[in-house]
Amino acid sequence: MATSQATTGRFPTLEILDPSTSHTFIKPAKRINEGPDVNAFLKSKAYRDIGIFVMQLNRAMCPRKVKDESGKEKTETFQIGSQYETQPVESVRKIQGLLAKLDSIIDEAPPDPGPRRFGNVSCRKWHQMVEERIPALLREHIPESVLKFGTTSGSPTSAEEELASYLLGSFGSAQRLDYGTGHELSFLAFIGCLWKLGAFGDGKADGDIERSIVLGIFEPYLRVVRRLILTYTLEPAGSHGVWGLDDHSFQPYIYGSAQLTRPITDEEPMPLEGSVLRAPKPGQIVKAEIVDQERKRNMYFSAVGFINDVKTGPFWEHSPMLFDISGVRDGWGKINKGMIKMFNAEVLSKFPVVQHFTFGSLFSWDQDPDALEPQQSVHMANQPSVPISGNMQAPGGAVGMAAPWAQATSMPPPGPGVPYSRIPPNGRPTSRPGPPETQPGSTGLPTTRAPWSK
Amino acid sequence: MSDLDKAIAQLRACRPIPEAQVRELCHKARELLIEEGNVVTVAAPVTICGDIHGQFHDLMELFRVGGDPPDTNYLFMGDFVDRGFYSLESFLLLLCLKVRYPDRMTLIRGNHESRQITTVYGFYDECVRKYGSANVWRYCCDVFDYLALGAIVLGASNTLSPPNEHISSEDYANADIEIEVCNADGDIMSRFQRRSDGERSPNGASASAGEKTGPPGSGASGSSGGSTGNPTGAVLCVHGGLSPLIDTVDKIRLLDRKQEVPHEGAMCDLLWSDPDEIDGWGLSPRGAGFLFGADIVKVFNHRNDLSLIARAHQLVMEGFKEMFDASIVTVWSAPNYCYRCGNVAAVLELSEGGGGESIMARSNGDVGRSDGGMRGVMMESEGAIKNGPARRYRVFQAAPQDSRGMPAKKPVADYFL
Repeated sequence: MATSQATTGRFPTLEILDPSTSHTFIKPAKRINEGPDVNAFLKSKAYRDIGIFVMQLNRAMCPRKVKDESGKEKTETFQIGSQYETQPVESVRKIQGLLAKLDSIIDEAPPDPGPRRFGNVSCRKWHQMVEERIPALLREHIPESVLKFGTTSGSPTSAEEELASYLLGSFGSAQRLDYGTGHELSFLAFIGCLWKLGAFGDGKADGDIERSIVLGIFEPYLRVVRRLILTYTLEPAGSHGVWGLDDHSFQPYIYGSAQLTRPITDEEPMPLEGSVLRAPKPGQIVKAEIVDQERKRNMYFSAVGFINDVKTGPFWEHSPMLFDISGVRDGWGKINKGMIKMFNAEVLSKFPVVQHFTFGSLFSWDQDPDALEPQQSVHMANQPSVPISGNMQAPGGAVGMAAPWAQATSMPPPGPGVPYSRIPPNGRPTSRPGPPETQPGSTGLPTTRAPWSK
Repeated sequence: MSDLDKAIAQLRACRPIPEAQVRELCHKARELLIEEGNVVTVAAPVTICGDIHGQFHDLMELFRVGGDPPDTNYLFMGDFVDRGFYSLESFLLLLCLKVRYPDRMTLIRGNHESRQITTVYGFYDECVRKYGSANVWRYCCDVFDYLALGAIVLGASNTLSPPNEHISSEDYANADIEIEVCNADGDIMSRFQRRSDGERSPNGASASAGEKTGPPGSGASGSSGGSTGNPTGAVLCVHGGLSPLIDTVDKIRLLDRKQEVPHEGAMCDLLWSDPDEIDGWGLSPRGAGFLFGADIVKVFNHRNDLSLIARAHQLVMEGFKEMFDASIVTVWSAPNYCYRCGNVAAVLELSEGGGGESIMARSNGDVGRSDGGMRGVMMESEGAIKNGPARRYRVFQAAPQDSRGMPAKKPVADYFL
């Protein structure tokens, strides 16, 4: 029985399943229905695998110390537009083709010129076309050996179904006409499923293939998402406004800060501070002209550049969190470490975000026997425990915000929340207030201690 | 200059006031608000405003466009806080103005005026960032619990007073305008004539639409009761909308409002519901409140002798949106919402009608509705829906941003330490 964790040297990587053994696939289903379920999620195999995969991709993006032919040490950095994106292995190139198809469907569903309150209803047309075409698209862009992985005859569910489910969940909500970090997480799971199914076996292990995944798949995915947001004016609904990191995204801040950290050898762990030589200074994210240069190379600046595209007004005012983070003095390594902790706390540990995540066989709801008991704290004091009954379907169009306690319908908040006062995963309880006495949302839920955050 | 006036001046400059002063202000505000009924009665003229969401500089623009308080009588329909950078300054300024000019400033509660929502959507974090502790957030939340749930505007005229000083009352009163849209400088952008009988509302077939009664002193003729004005039906103002548990305004008055916004029930619905193109009631995709259709609004307005419901709660690109034969309007007052939505904002002005209504005493909301000289607003009406009030929307854009200096970087979140 394989564990879900392979180990290359001392750094865990997501396990690749053995195609010769049969595997029982499960149609992904929602499992997080109320606040306390988040606690179970934080001890699940899915949570462990998401953590392993994010850390694996993150570490691959960190600049490397390499020796040239003469034995002289130099630094290799990994950038948007490099060969990892432009000359990837076949498996990555195929997924790029899939993303290009999804992108071109936007042209087939031009924005509706009619009256609208905010979000454009043609976005629903795009979702509908994608849903109709997804089986054909998957078959065209993903090898049959992956789609039919380990399937024994008579098995009701295939790998294809798990893949389709995560891919369809990656582009926002057709009903609510919004997009957020929960959808971004679904795309990570889609790639993670492909990884587990051995789809990237043609790539070079130990960093190369991961870099191609991040620069050649994830960044192009973000480009499709940004075009969807602009085309259909997807509402910053559920947004924390200025008090979130970003209205829609989180992961580009992780991989983008990794791109700029102090270089390491393949044997060294991620640096916890310091920047690579000639990296733009963190403080330069407030300078639009520097962002415009760097966004071509770096995912962090690419994300900030998109904020500049869609927002008007002083940067420090509409994005105070990124502004404050730009004052960090210990370099991009420090920012990278903080982003990982924050991702764990503000994305993975937040009910409104992860409630929409679905669990199948590859990202499994089964409890991880080695999981640490999440730490008790007040971190999730405002997560709900009382579900509103029924799986509500909205008859109408998009709405502004959802009640955070709404179960089936509240959107994942595009922003990852506000960390100023929140305790980080290993943090001590602070003066964060408990929930009001009159509301039943107090669950005293524990926060998690990220297995990867030391 | 009193301490309160000093605080107003400081907040107008977008500088927070000291914690001790916030505490005192909130205490005074609570004493004042506790005396108000769940549904405050407001006499026209009044300028009705929608969501602000901490967009302080845009609130200043709103005052520039709509007139400075206390010269203009304001009614804000909630959602003062969250999302924007200056929720604290915006809310405290409005609260100071409320305490200083209680009869010229009405604040009702939005769904964001809640402990649970503000811990998720930014106001809590803003307070901690600006004061280093959650005390100010606590004081403000205690005030939230006392905010009224709605307001009834009485005595709104079915004609408008001139939009700016360049147009005389005499010229203006001849126009039979139901809706006028002005830009931020008070220039008229568009006008809509009052429609003929029966068109306005299926329930209003016998409404005497088209009758003109000028504002006092305007010399305009009034064909029905001109000397006492031509009262239009009352206007109900509420943040979100209606509730299936509430069929009369009096039922709102019976609620126990002095609490955190509940997750369900009438009080929750009033703050969370949205109108929608459906029949009857529908589940809200927000997970709180309901969707309600035109039929619900029309029956409610008829039963309560209302000519209009004004509400906020939903971003609308044009700043305002009338629905269901002008029986309900959404007013949105946060331009370029969240720095990116590209929408304009609006406020709704209702002019003063003639006669007695305009001198109605402000009260806890109990006086006036069964005033002997007037038609009881809350009484079941056997007659038709009254004529809708004339409505002026002043539309404005986000305030210019070039003058704001960059602050020092604050210590970052614990994650980055």
